[in-house]
Amino acid sequence: MKSSTSKFWLRSLSRAVILFVVAFFFSPRASAADSSPQVTLNVAKVAPREVETLTQRSIVRDYRFAWANLDLALESNSAGPLNGLFVGPANASLNEAVRSQKQNGITSRYLNQSHKLDAVFYAPEGDVIELHDTAEYDLEILDGSKTIHSEHAIVHYVVLMTPGADRWVVRQLQSVAQF
Amino acid sequence: MSSLINTVCRSHRSRIARIGIALGFLLTTFAFAQNLNLRPPTGAVAGKAASLGVDGSGSATLYLMGPAGSVKRDIQLGNEISLSAKELQAAGRYVAVVCSGDCSSVGFFVASSKPVTLTFLVHPSRAPVAENDAISGVALAFDEFHNLVMKPVSLRFELSAKGVPPISRTSETHDGIAWFRSNSGRSAGPLQITASLTDDISTRRVVQEVASVPCNLRIKGERTPKGIVIETDPVRDCSGNPVPDGTVVTFTAKGSGATSSVDAPVKQDVARATILANGPVSISAASGVAMGNELRVGGKE
Repeated sequence: MKSSTSKFWLRSLSRAVILFVVAFFFSPRASAADSSPQVTLNVAKVAPREVETLTQRSIVRDYRFAWANLDLALESNSAGPLNGLFVGPANASLNEAVRSQKQNGITSRYLNQSHKLDAVFYAPEGDVIELHDTAEYDLEILDGSKTIHSEHAIVHYVVLMTPGADRWVVRQLQSVAQF
Repeated sequence: MSSLINTVCRSHRSRIARIGIALGFLLTTFAFAQNLNLRPPTGAVAGKAASLGVDGSGSATLYLMGPAGSVKRDIQLGNEISLSAKELQAAGRYVAVVCSGDCSSVGFFVASSKPVTLTFLVHPSRAPVAENDAISGVALAFDEFHNLVMKPVSLRFELSAKGVPPISRTSETHDGIAWFRSNSGRSAGPLQITASLTDDISTRRVVQEVASVPCNLRIKGERTPKGIVIETDPVRDCSGNPVPDGTVVTFTAKGSGATSSVDAPVKQDVARATILANGPVSISAASGVAMGNELRVGGKE
């Protein structure tokens, strides 16, 4: 009796362990890959101009879209997703990042993004806004299909956005050690 | 491997032990990695070469992921790895990965270099004279690689117009930006605004200051065979600047129980109109918020 009970538990335990090992190593990594970036905006300290409510909504919407497409561009090594969302130095840098990744057979992914924006400057005429982005994401860098780097990163970005024809566009996206 | 495990664990009670040992072997294998001890550059500046320290021996592959590009090349472990000035042009966060079987990585920052260019935005392009806070400007300092210079730098803004002493003020950039706001001058004409980092690094913009709204309208008129010809004195703003051609002046005539009005544009400082009326009329003029004098003209004889 005791022996059969022990055998039962041993079998159960061994199956559980095997299932765990299989699940751990073969489960899809990006279970949250489809979630769009989370973006929040704080305008309490902005000067000299206040940010209108509608402008706040537009900036959050357009910044979220920009980062979602930045991830797509660097994952697929295609500059197409960047068009119309990034201009000037930001556009040039990201295009070069995509080009060199493709040349080297590297891809990168920015997963589970969260961006906390603080507006620090809004020009009197509303033609440029500076944001400080405390960004949090899971960064993965792959050479072909091999993951060479994976980290959960918190990175500070200084962002300049300007109004385009129908959206706010990212003109400067520069990471800094601290604000 | 299986024979080794079988040698160690013979009885059926040690099935758990066998499983545990197998797991331990797997975990040990994946936990073990060659510690390459990457030492990142400190105080790296955009456009300046730096080096990355790495221990170990043998060959490996270096990956350098930066804000504006990536690098992949073969290296020898145990030597300082040179990072060229071109590879470090973009300011921002870099991730250096060295793979020799397994991979080790380290992150570091590259700061922007010294400022060499200014982006200067000024509004509006045309501003009415004598208006408070009518003109504003924003200046951003960039280095030669188009990195925003976050370190505070001193900028001088100078506003100069013809016949008026220039106004100058110094401002320090904060978070890469300096800005100013100013009243417009009293005289119409071009206002030159310059933002300067040094004597050699400056950017100039021009704001056209234009006459403000008409002020102190005065009219005169006389009856002629063709009607009552009304004419304004030269139309000027309150600062004495002639208003631009095309500024509309509205003449209104009241008489014999009827009211009529006619709009006339200013041409060469003066607005003119002809009003048809037989009896005595009272004529006034207005432009924007400015009202002129009232003129009484007698009836036709």
